[in-house]
Amino acid sequence: MGSISDRTGSGEWRLFKNLTHSVSTAEGLAWDDALPQSVARHGSPPILHLYTFIPSVIVGKYQDIEAALRLERCRARGIEYNRRSTGGGTVIMGPEIVALGLGINVDYPGLKKGVGGVFDSLSEVLIRALDHVGVRARFQPKNDLEVKGRKIAGLSAASEADTCLLFHTSLLVDFDIALMTDIMNTPVIKLEDKGYNCFSQRMTTVRHELGRNLSVAEMMEAIQTAFEEEFGIAFREDSPDDWEQNTIHRFIEERFTQDQWIFSHRHPRTRMGVGQLKTRGGLLEIYLSLSGGSIEHVLITGDFFSTSENIHRIENALKWTSALRESIESNIASVWHDNMIYGIDVSTLTDAILLAKQNQVRL
Amino acid sequence: MAEIKGYNMPDELYYHEEHSWARVEGTKVTIGMTDMFQKEAGDIVFVDLPEEEDDVSQGETCGKIQSRKWIGKLVAPVSGEITEINEELEEDTSLINSDPYGDGWILVIKAEDEDDLQAELKNLIHGDAVSAFVDREIARTEEERAKAEQG
Repeated sequence: MGSISDRTGSGEWRLFKNLTHSVSTAEGLAWDDALPQSVARHGSPPILHLYTFIPSVIVGKYQDIEAALRLERCRARGIEYNRRSTGGGTVIMGPEIVALGLGINVDYPGLKKGVGGVFDSLSEVLIRALDHVGVRARFQPKNDLEVKGRKIAGLSAASEADTCLLFHTSLLVDFDIALMTDIMNTPVIKLEDKGYNCFSQRMTTVRHELGRNLSVAEMMEAIQTAFEEEFGIAFREDSPDDWEQNTIHRFIEERFTQDQWIFSHRHPRTRMGVGQLKTRGGLLEIYLSLSGGSIEHVLITGDFFSTSENIHRIENALKWTSALRESIESNIASVWHDNMIYGIDVSTLTDAILLAKQNQVRL
Repeated sequence: MAEIKGYNMPDELYYHEEHSWARVEGTKVTIGMTDMFQKEAGDIVFVDLPEEEDDVSQGETCGKIQSRKWIGKLVAPVSGEITEINEELEEDTSLINSDPYGDGWILVIKAEDEDDLQAELKNLIHGDAVSAFVDREIARTEEERAKAEQG
């Protein structure tokens, strides 16, 4: 049982590190939710929680779980599903994916301010951690880390108790793409029929990049070191004290084992649509997932000439942005360069996306 | 209409430090999020609102706002009963970005007592203090960015 000796956060952070076993979704998520509570109300310095989940899938706080997942496939395969407290979309978790929870005060020295600032600061730490193991990643605005256009880690956050926030990351050491394709309810299934797995084009893992079996323990070690270097702090390995244990149990009982939480209906309407547009640069086929009036994700496919890196850059620039024409156009323009898609311009691409929006249906 | 350092901060409004604003008409108080908030947060993708007839206290988190993959707080700038919520936001949360002080209003709080409301308004940022508030927020951001860049 650890005691909280440093209540000021003057250079020593606490580390809850679990390398002994993968945890259930309820346990892992409850530990994470307890982190900002402890920092805000229990006088703890920032706490970093590094662990792994059992094979599972976790949706964002405001996602429609029934639209996002094929729940009958999850049940048949024994894949746990749950809902986290932070924003964003679906993530697949498992023993080869590092889960990271961080509870920290937004005013902590060295943490950049505001929504963009916090994502920036923490992505810098993760880029450094990946660099330590030999993977050159970059921040893909607005929320992901990528290696040559392929996603390797996803970031999300929530403002919680007082001025404290919870920051979540999933970092792919290894990944089962077939599992993801089977349990996620996306237009990808239709793409699969054409022998094209869009996930394998859009994601990568540490092991794939390195061509060797880096262990989860080594990756966690690198993350720990990166935090120490970036914030000029040292970690003290610790475990939850009595107050924190009680908070964790409360979150397990009142939140992560309750259908009311897992199947919450507080979310925007989810719809999907496909748009096909013949252009002088080739056929554009757009798969669009909408969350209320916003784009949750968009897949740009077709027989045009471009690189997967360019396509993913455009797709990422549109993630979690408004689906109105002017917003789509300005977000594409923010990453656009000449001949990004040969023979197609920003306005034509926008037209194709709006066509997919017009064809939207409830799943 | 006051433009302070590139942010629209209308003179007649009262501001909470957590970036909610209050427009006061008698005991009816309309609430929204500031231009500075929406510019910093980027596209708002969801607003999780309380129910009408809920009671809220000044400083209480009465809703959540998701932008990117961040979930932020909507803090009630005054106490009272929620009498209206902006249902337009259900379909189009971008109103908070495009018109934060107009069509992007979020909810209406009815204060129980005018004297109590006046007392609470004194806890909010208003008039000449708004400019200093914006400066403070900008300075905080720049300071941390500079520190981070030096590091």
